[in-house]
Amino acid sequence: MKLSIRKSIAALGAAALVATGVLVSVPAANAAEPTCTTGPVAIAAGFETCTGTLANGAGYQFKMPFNFKGTMFFWEHGIRWTYPGASPVPTGVEQIAPSSVNGNFDISKQMLLAGYGLAAYDGTVKGLRGWNSAYRIEMIKEVIDIASAKYPKIEKKVLYGASQAGSTITPFVEKYPTYADSVGIMAGVTPSIADAIQSACDIFYILSVFADPTIKGCTAFGLKGVPGHMASLGELQKVVALLGAWSTNLGAPGLEYPAALKGSGIPQRSSLLLTGLLTGVPTKSAHMDGISTNAVIVEHSINATVAILENIGSAIGSGVLAGQSLSEITGAGFYDNTKTNWASLLDEGDAGRYNLGLSGDDGINAMLGVLAMAPRVTGDAAAIAKFKALDKSSFTSKHPTILLHNEADRLVFPGQTNRYVDRKREVYEKALSSWEKTRTGKKPIWNTLALWTLTPETYTKFTAAGLPDLTGPVAASGVDHESFTKKQLKAWVDMLAVSAKSGKVPTSAYVQYIAEKVPYLNGDLDYRPADLKYNFGY
Amino acid sequence: MNAVKNRASLSRSPRKFAAVISAALVGALALSAMPAQGASTPGVSDTEIVLGMQLPQTGAASPGYNKVDDAMRAYFDYVNSKGGVYGRKITLVAKDDTYRAGLTVSTASALINKDKVFAMVGSIGTQTHISVIKDINRRGIPDLFVLSGYSGFYTDPKKYPTTFGSLGTYVVEAKILGKYIKENLATKNVGILYQTDDFGRNTVEGLATAGVTFTAKKNAATFIAGTQAGGLDAQMQQLKDNNVEVVVIGAVASAFATAVGSANKIGYKPQYIVISVGSDATTFQTILFTKGIPFATSAALLAGTISASHAPSPGEADDEFVTAFKKINDEFNKGPSKTWDNNVLQGMNIGYTMTAALMGAGKDLTRPGIIKYIENNPAKLSSAALAPLGYSAKTHEAYTGFWIGKYDAATVLKPIDGTRKLWTTDSAKGPVTELKYTRPAIAADALPKVG
Repeated sequence: MKLSIRKSIAALGAAALVATGVLVSVPAANAAEPTCTTGPVAIAAGFETCTGTLANGAGYQFKMPFNFKGTMFFWEHGIRWTYPGASPVPTGVEQIAPSSVNGNFDISKQMLLAGYGLAAYDGTVKGLRGWNSAYRIEMIKEVIDIASAKYPKIEKKVLYGASQAGSTITPFVEKYPTYADSVGIMAGVTPSIADAIQSACDIFYILSVFADPTIKGCTAFGLKGVPGHMASLGELQKVVALLGAWSTNLGAPGLEYPAALKGSGIPQRSSLLLTGLLTGVPTKSAHMDGISTNAVIVEHSINATVAILENIGSAIGSGVLAGQSLSEITGAGFYDNTKTNWASLLDEGDAGRYNLGLSGDDGINAMLGVLAMAPRVTGDAAAIAKFKALDKSSFTSKHPTILLHNEADRLVFPGQTNRYVDRKREVYEKALSSWEKTRTGKKPIWNTLALWTLTPETYTKFTAAGLPDLTGPVAASGVDHESFTKKQLKAWVDMLAVSAKSGKVPTSAYVQYIAEKVPYLNGDLDYRPADLKYNFGY
Repeated sequence: MNAVKNRASLSRSPRKFAAVISAALVGALALSAMPAQGASTPGVSDTEIVLGMQLPQTGAASPGYNKVDDAMRAYFDYVNSKGGVYGRKITLVAKDDTYRAGLTVSTASALINKDKVFAMVGSIGTQTHISVIKDINRRGIPDLFVLSGYSGFYTDPKKYPTTFGSLGTYVVEAKILGKYIKENLATKNVGILYQTDDFGRNTVEGLATAGVTFTAKKNAATFIAGTQAGGLDAQMQQLKDNNVEVVVIGAVASAFATAVGSANKIGYKPQYIVISVGSDATTFQTILFTKGIPFATSAALLAGTISASHAPSPGEADDEFVTAFKKINDEFNKGPSKTWDNNVLQGMNIGYTMTAALMGAGKDLTRPGIIKYIENNPAKLSSAALAPLGYSAKTHEAYTGFWIGKYDAATVLKPIDGTRKLWTTDSAKGPVTELKYTRPAIAADALPKVG
């Protein structure tokens, strides 16, 4: 069996790690008028494409259909890197509309057909790379200003985006509330990123205790520029090597490290499963449903462990790249686990459900005991403070906001969307309570909707040898990051469009109605996957 | 534009889909998308109450347990034949999770969202139910009469306010058996075989509270739940090598059967004392049968085993509940195997108690209403059990009393000294004391009367 990790991460190699990047100062200039051409008429009604550059040199693009119905969608892409090695260096506007990683498509055609205008920009213009949410807030404003000036016929504006976009869009609409009529966040890191990265750093730390003591993980982050990037990728390579080794034997050999557990009979896979459960890595993956069994995968927790194996490479990959980017903001030493209570991170339900995979209570206690005794990482107070203060938002926006998330997103864990809804609910309930005391002014309304896309119940395939087949088609829905079906994406943008007009998110009855039409779109508005492991407040 | 028109329009062409969906949404956006509050109670109509249940109907863990749903449904069908509860018929939707927690999660979702159940009732299994208990409680769905003795589900109602048990806890049972061991087997070398999970932990905890403790690797043998299919030879050899004369079993019936099979191979014949869910005769015999051991032989292997129960033995033909339930089972059970045994008795008893709860909660049935009723009125929830229900605001444990018995050659558990004596205690550090309790009689029509 071969471990399937995203190509961008698996392709890591010294040859690819050519140091070319040098920080470039941000150009200060005025934005130029966009240049426009008429687009292909394969889209029935035809459309106009306009391109231009923002004041800082970033490219932007508009696609305006001739059957425009008044609603313009402004797309905010996720994190991208300008150092080579782990992913291609961005070259401009690469996404104009929501796309699917697994499906290798976007829905721009469908959106143009529906009469929606499209806009997007390159948020990673020279020098503004990595975790650049603060820069991008003003870039979005500029894009919207240019579009509004060029197209006075824009009646409603939808601001939507994916992944890191959550950390940009949320503060943006709080700062510039009139710049959007509805808000969409797909698989979003909704402030704060620190809650997520702490778990990613925990993955490194736990693996260093159980598997490879040379792993430094997030403590190796902090150098700026190419040297820092190279150092972080070196840490990632250690984990990729480890996972690759486990993938050849399903982690069956006994733990060799730490010494206290050598000879205990606890297999390596139990420590991998524990690592995933303590850090919130989904127990379903592109190929593993967490349920299916056979003669090799003899029970469900082994299936879930292979799911973690398949997920964790990407989880840690995003942790490395985002974490290194963050460290350039916070400085070295943002990760600290001196106060971490490892036992408290293991959910009671997980301990019961995966008891066998964790080698029973004795195995759980032994592994948690080793973690409790292991030397901790002491961070730098100033860096930690900056880390926990990243991307703070008030969640006071009143815009209709529709979130979309896969139940088993392996990069941005689903708990992020839970957290967003919780924050909004706190603000809403406080406002409602205040209103009820005076009953003056406009009554607050609940205006947030979380849409979830689920996996099929079972989808694991096995090879003739009985091993999990990690090379075949991925699950039809619910897994991976920014990977949805066309119908799911279209349902989301349609709801955003109508919410922009009405000022309200759809009713629960309507969501349920649509969910019956769109495969694997969950109509259960009470659905709640696992929460994030950390909460540093906001 | 109304919903019916929308539905028709959506099927015309993909091209028109966007325009139609937009138009439809405009009409539908009158309210925000918060889950409905204060709406009609899910699963309850003027004519029906829909209940959900999860259990292993198939797979290795299913023998015995797979009869509980049919028995429960048989009792509900009997109630329905008498007019139902306040004119509402009771419908039980049972889902097979094959004792795999991933399926427990997905089937719970189906029961809640597709079948729109009012409450969950009688769901089976600790490791499976622990996967959904938090979510069921978060949603405020009554999680009634769960067939697990794990104390962690019930002893902190603030944590799981909607969950109520249908067994005594493993801790209570182990404390009572521990007292028996201390008083009757003090001269023997007592050991234990337990699964290292919630069940086994509860057992060890209860025994320790009673003063019965063990030494790891010597008279305490363990296994990881789920691995017993591979045999428990090493564990039984360990106990034999340490001259253990009495083996307490804190494990499921499949493990007990495997352990006996392993011990039998090495000529090891200790006195077994088994936590009740592990000694179910049907499961024990079915599993040994799959290993090539005839029923007559397995009955002999079970004979002499000590266990406990909160209910009459299914073989007690003169018990009025047994008589009444057997009659209903004969007439209404449509399951593939309705052979009368303890699983059928327990399923039917849960149906009986559930009916009592639905009656007691009143005509205006709500989820909070039935939870409050059960919590405040355990004495009105009569059942076939010989011990009272312990529900209160402080605990959602079911039966707080057990009697101790020994299996005879016909696989009937009979009072160990010929006289049934009931013992009671709590799941904490309270003493084990004798329980004097007179079970309310069953009515002539075999329907509960809640006063």
